[in-house]
Amino acid sequence: MEKAQINLYQLFVLLVLFELSTILAPLGIAAKQAAWLSILIGMIGGLVLFLVYYRLYCYYPDVMPTEYMQILLGRFLGSVLAFLYILYFLYLAARVLRNFGEMLLILAYPVTPLFILNAGLVVVTVYTVRKGIEVLARTGELFAIVIFFLAASSLLLIVLTGLIKVTNLQPMMEVGMGKILETAFSETLMIPFGELIVFTMIFPYVNVNHSKKLRKAGLMAIGFSGIVLAFTMAINISVMGVSIVSRSPFPLLSTIRSIEIAGFLERLDVYFMMVLIIGGFFKFSIILYGAATGTADLFKIKETSRLIYPLGFIVLMFSLAMASSYPEHTYKILHSDAVLFTTSIPFLVVIPIMLLVIAFFKNR
Amino acid sequence: MFSFFEHSKKTSKNYSPEPLPKTIKSSLSDNLALLKQKTGKSPDIIIRSLKIGNQPKVKAAVVYVSGIVDTQTINEFLIEVLINYKEKPGNEAGQELIEKIAEEVVSVGSIKTETEWSSLFESLLSGNALIFIDGAAKALTAGTKGGEKRAIQEPSTQSTVRGSREGFTESMETNMAMVRRIIKNPNLWIESIKIGNQTRTDVSIMYINGSAESAVIEEVKKRLKKIKIDSILESGYIEQLIEDQTMSPFPTLYYTERPDIVAGNLLEGRVAVFINGTPFTLLAPAVFVQFFQASDDYYTRFDIATATRFLRAFIFLISLLGPATFVAAITYHHEMIPTTLLIVIAAQRESVPFPAIFEALIMEVTFEILREAGLRLPKAIGSTVSIVGGLVVGQAAVQAGIVSPTMLIIVAITAIASFATPSFAVAISARLLRFAFMICAASLGFYGIMLALFMMVAHLCSLRSFGIPYMAPFAPFMPGNLGDTLVRIPWWSMKKKTQLMNHKNIQESKNKKSQSLKT
Amino acid sequence: MKHKRSFFAFILISLTVVSGCWDKREMNELAFVSAFAVDLNEEGKYVGTFQIINPGNVAGGLQGGGGQNASITVYSAAGDNLLETEGHVSMKVSRDLYYAHTNLIIISEKVASEKGITELFDLFERAREFRTTTNVVLTRNSSAEEMLSVLTEKDKIPAEQIVNNLKGAEESQGEYQKITIDNVINSLITSGNEPLISAFSIKGEPKKGTKMENIQASQPEVRMEPNGLGVFKNGKLIDWLEGETARGTLWATDKVQATSLNITWKNKKDAIAYQVVRQKTKIAAQLKKDRPKISISVRAEGRIAEVSVSSDLTNPHTLAAIEKEVAKEIKEEIEKAIYHAQINKSDTFGFGDAIHRSHPDKWKKIKSEWNNEYFPSSDIEVKVEAFIRRTGLRTNSYLSDLEQ
Repeated sequence: MEKAQINLYQLFVLLVLFELSTILAPLGIAAKQAAWLSILIGMIGGLVLFLVYYRLYCYYPDVMPTEYMQILLGRFLGSVLAFLYILYFLYLAARVLRNFGEMLLILAYPVTPLFILNAGLVVVTVYTVRKGIEVLARTGELFAIVIFFLAASSLLLIVLTGLIKVTNLQPMMEVGMGKILETAFSETLMIPFGELIVFTMIFPYVNVNHSKKLRKAGLMAIGFSGIVLAFTMAINISVMGVSIVSRSPFPLLSTIRSIEIAGFLERLDVYFMMVLIIGGFFKFSIILYGAATGTADLFKIKETSRLIYPLGFIVLMFSLAMASSYPEHTYKILHSDAVLFTTSIPFLVVIPIMLLVIAFFKNR
Repeated sequence: MFSFFEHSKKTSKNYSPEPLPKTIKSSLSDNLALLKQKTGKSPDIIIRSLKIGNQPKVKAAVVYVSGIVDTQTINEFLIEVLINYKEKPGNEAGQELIEKIAEEVVSVGSIKTETEWSSLFESLLSGNALIFIDGAAKALTAGTKGGEKRAIQEPSTQSTVRGSREGFTESMETNMAMVRRIIKNPNLWIESIKIGNQTRTDVSIMYINGSAESAVIEEVKKRLKKIKIDSILESGYIEQLIEDQTMSPFPTLYYTERPDIVAGNLLEGRVAVFINGTPFTLLAPAVFVQFFQASDDYYTRFDIATATRFLRAFIFLISLLGPATFVAAITYHHEMIPTTLLIVIAAQRESVPFPAIFEALIMEVTFEILREAGLRLPKAIGSTVSIVGGLVVGQAAVQAGIVSPTMLIIVAITAIASFATPSFAVAISARLLRFAFMICAASLGFYGIMLALFMMVAHLCSLRSFGIPYMAPFAPFMPGNLGDTLVRIPWWSMKKKTQLMNHKNIQESKNKKSQSLKT
Repeated sequence: MKHKRSFFAFILISLTVVSGCWDKREMNELAFVSAFAVDLNEEGKYVGTFQIINPGNVAGGLQGGGGQNASITVYSAAGDNLLETEGHVSMKVSRDLYYAHTNLIIISEKVASEKGITELFDLFERAREFRTTTNVVLTRNSSAEEMLSVLTEKDKIPAEQIVNNLKGAEESQGEYQKITIDNVINSLITSGNEPLISAFSIKGEPKKGTKMENIQASQPEVRMEPNGLGVFKNGKLIDWLEGETARGTLWATDKVQATSLNITWKNKKDAIAYQVVRQKTKIAAQLKKDRPKISISVRAEGRIAEVSVSSDLTNPHTLAAIEKEVAKEIKEEIEKAIYHAQINKSDTFGFGDAIHRSHPDKWKKIKSEWNNEYFPSSDIEVKVEAFIRRTGLRTNSYLSDLEQ
């Protein structure tokens, strides 16, 4: 474990940046006009999941999950599980990276090879992550300010332009509650809320005298970002209409593109690009950091920073190889039952709950 | 400068061919002979032989270096009184006589008895006069420092609209006195050491006891003591030797030639390092926002000061990202430029033979050439350079169709912006990084710029200055300390002193490398 | 460690410098397309027409030029789909066609009425460079190519002049509306709402309009003017709306920004001109035994702009009476427009959408038959309130002094 500490505010910022990087995607659009509702339901599920992760942290506040898995399940089984988790994190990182590169490619760099775009992010991420969680957290604090200004100004512009047509959000229950719940639990709960499992690798670094404060910070961050995500989705739908939102890979881009004020404040694509890059950077770095620090802990490697180079390279290669096209990629993430039942549900829901039950009985 | 440096290195190898004898002898002639031999009979070493007392007269000598002593003091209070000393030495040996002279005869402020050659030489060369008396294995050093000094003038690099017109001079004593005059507090403490094997430069650290965090003071002292170098010619030497990270374009120590800035920073709990021979004084620890603050901010009203500071942050961004953004926009992201503007730019670029990045680089380099040329020239010629530069670069280049007027505007704004940052140290790092940003912009557009920006911010966040995070109080975010950063809240609402230098924020520097140059 | 760092730096530099530049396009490699037009030729193939800006002739100033040469060049080519027309055109143009600044898409009357516009828009929505906020306009009585070739005098880029004309007409006439690609697509896919696209036509002989002489005259012989709203059904142009019918339709869809209407007063026709400053229309939809009942309530605010009979405008009762007249006038216009639409069997008002919002379940059943069956037979109730807020710099007209 690296000797580093972050404070609660920094944890909050990292959580929010992590969650908000999905702001670009059409989250929960399968629920049509009720997409925002399915995000909120997903968020409530996310809060519950967070509490599971948090309880586990409470039992072992000073050690990495890779270590308490070994305590809970025994040395061999625990190591295997920890290793599987590291693989899962690498997969997550690759997925985020692929998504990021594809978005850039579609948005602004149609001819540039995916490898170059991904490699650019990997290089910068490796540079930052190598400096440790403290630097990452501080960088996050600075860019959180940027994100805040972007969000506030674009919201103001959208409202000023009069783009919001509330009628577009009606009828709310076009698809029925069943579909909304299904979307919430199969999509929005997993992405982005379930992915917070990466933060179990970061909790031990949080400098906190009372673990309840960590719970508060976490719940607040998830609640805040869930509301922002739901709100953004509602704005997207109210500006563009359900049909366009459900047909675009990045509805936020179309929303931002429709801002036109005074013949000059228009063409604000750069807003979108900044949100994309900042969000992508932090999500990717946090996952990569989680994977690296987990590996270092599992294999008892002193210097975490050295691990980042090979891990970054592996993730880069995997991100290129994981799907042959963007539709295939999004299908695998969002709609494939195989991925849902073999990775998302076990790694994000089942195993943590199981660990918690074991921990509960062991520590009784 | 370079050859000079080389030279000093070479001499260091065959420095002091024979070791200095430890203590002085009682024979005056022996001592004087050694003095002459060691100084190579340099003509500025004045040896005034005289005889003092009455029956028997005792041989004595006053030795000093002309030019760095106050001649009047030597004449009136040393030589004159010694010659007029007509007491009977009696049977007293030189030993007692010398003490008597020190106590009863010589009327200068500081006087010391010394026996060791090394300290005598140091004393002599720093402007004191030595008094040798035959038969005494001791010598007196009298404080006669003086000589020509530059008068206190208005600082040339940090002028203000409002505020004191005093600037530091090359004399460390004068400089420290100026600060003392502002802070009349016995807790203003000064510690002094000498650095440099050959130059033996006086370096003092000044801090307010109780205000400055002891960890920082200790760290500064520790790093100063670790320095092993032949020469210290300017505060830049010290700065580069004690900063936390050398591999960074950003300065982690603040330098100033204004006593009011030093006083203000001392009161905030910083430590000042004075170096003799330069008007530039170092302040540690330094944080990034500090470089965007000018002393005017504290003297003008808070609203205006705040607005100015935001303007400066904006200026910094322009000087860092201006040309890069322009290049990215016109080579990658044409869709982000409003149509009418785009058509104007496109019309201008129709006949330009170079790619945009090349055009930008040409103009930026030209500007740097002009700046460098104008910097070292006498003022009269300097203005000629700027006229020729302005004409050639501005008018002719556009008319010849080599560069587009828009590019010229961008480069000009950037150039002006880079001069508008209050601290030269940060302005110059922005100028250096600007080229990196331009290259990133040319190869990947806004994505490239953002990547470079991430690297820069991550680097900035990883820096520490004497344990204080460089980006504090923004990262880590310290809400209580935001009153004097990019905003300056009114004085009445600044209830407590900023807690930036609190020991909680100080961490052991991660830079474990030795900061010293091997001599 | 030192080697590693320099290796790292080396990789970084080579990544950024050597490898970059795939998507780099210098400005003088680009041809900025200001407008794109779709037409049909005799063989039934699409004809794409591209209006390309010549920046040097638009910006002027620098080279002392501008004004002498045409500010645009027009290219056109035929193809089986829109992308193919681009391919054929790009062979004729020495630069890459660039669409991010295209702000006008013109669809010819022929395409709209013969082939329909349903399948046209995918390219515009899918392509990265096109912005879905681009305006869409129809031609009337001329081909799309002719429309794009006419030079204009005020805005040097004709596409911009068309857009600005349309905007002006929308803001003062109340008979036209600006419509973007987004809007068109949204109307096409919702069965309860048909698009209304404004049309332009050329006054004068189109060939003359392509010459610089035309715009050098103080009274250009050839001009482009907005001329009617095209009504669609199932993606095909079926009718034109003009004058009061057009305005009535826009009243009902809450699209009138400002307009003026004349009312009869003291038996004199068009005696008082009422200028609408703002208006708000609300549509409420109900289903009663599968019979749609729509109520429209319009609220208009405005002022009296011109009076040609003497009347006591200081008296609130008079004003109230005028308000009633205005409301009646507006109501008539709306009802006329609805009647017209019901005959056309095309719901241009979005009534279907309103039903969709209020009765999502039943809507699924009646959706497919909405335009042909339910809409023409639905009950529509129009309520109009009009307010006169002020009467300008004078109270009574000088005409009342003249009478005394």
